[in-house]
Amino acid sequence: MRQLLASAVAAALLHISPTVILVKRPDAVQQLLPGADRFLARELHLSAHDAHRLHEVVDWSPEDGVLTFFVGKDGGKDVGTLEFVRVDTPHGPLEVAVGFTPERTVRGVIVTKATVESKPWVLAALQAGLTEHYRGLKLADAPGGAAAIKNRIADLPAYMAQEVDKGVARALVAYRDFYR
Amino acid sequence: MLYDLRRADARVKWLVTCLLATLGLGYLFGSWMVGLFSGFTPQSVAVTFASPEMHMAMPPASTMVMEHPMTLQEFGAHDHYTVDRNLLVQDTHVHVPIYGIIAAALSLVVLGLDLARRWGYALITLLFAAPWLDFAGMWLTKLVSSGFAVLTVAGGWAMGFAYTIVTGVALWQMWRPTPGGVP
Repeated sequence: MRQLLASAVAAALLHISPTVILVKRPDAVQQLLPGADRFLARELHLSAHDAHRLHEVVDWSPEDGVLTFFVGKDGGKDVGTLEFVRVDTPHGPLEVAVGFTPERTVRGVIVTKATVESKPWVLAALQAGLTEHYRGLKLADAPGGAAAIKNRIADLPAYMAQEVDKGVARALVAYRDFYR
Repeated sequence: MLYDLRRADARVKWLVTCLLATLGLGYLFGSWMVGLFSGFTPQSVAVTFASPEMHMAMPPASTMVMEHPMTLQEFGAHDHYTVDRNLLVQDTHVHVPIYGIIAAALSLVVLGLDLARRWGYALITLLFAAPWLDFAGMWLTKLVSSGFAVLTVAGGWAMGFAYTIVTGVALWQMWRPTPGGVP
């Protein structure tokens, strides 16, 4: 009986919170690759060595070992590149879209997915101006959005901001090391 | 058998009624959640659970680059709620024990009903088979083919059907008015 109760409590605590879409992917693409009328998906099927290297640096492996960059073109002109990075948190996954300019700096960051549970915390962090602190980041920079807004938000939004930082850091390293 | 819900103390009947009502509420919200995040057709379930077609079983010896054009609309395909393998492992770990406990609780209600033995066996089997079908469908959709999504849909309906039968029969047998007697 005790085991049954323990299982029930564990299940209640660990229950997965469903994903909610904060910004639809096509809308994020239009904001982060403004003016693009043509798109390419560049999929890098990582070798074991490269996957290990990426994992060592940012503690992350893309799903199925495939790193995808979305390239936007306006006619023949390069508009920029975009990555969607997933961050698994104890409160369910987040998805962060990170857009780069052709000059290889961060154009913008949008949190596209959260979960029913984490959504209010993510929104609180966004309302505190989290994503403004990523604009213009260079590839060698460390994202510091969470630290910049820490004093203006509660603990859980601050925690989610750190998770968004983590997603941006992954995108920066992936772009720096693998996008040619 | 000594355990007979028709003749049970009214407090036991009330307990069973509350249990069934609570489970029913859970199932109602479960259906709502399925509607919000997956859908009720095999096609929408397949989109939720199937793995991307580009998956390679083994990493290549050196990193390979593949490029293909996309339309803006195609970005929207990723906005459907999806469950990857890791999430499905967690989901299975969390849900299967709870489904087992719910099936066991409903089976205990079945044991107290005035039913032929073969109907008792059939209902208990259905109560446990439904979640098995549900999760077998999810895993087979992910690992083998999208066509198996139909098993998940069947499992979900079977769960609802079994619950409805048990609840209907139990409430009828426990609370139906008896001529000149206390229910």
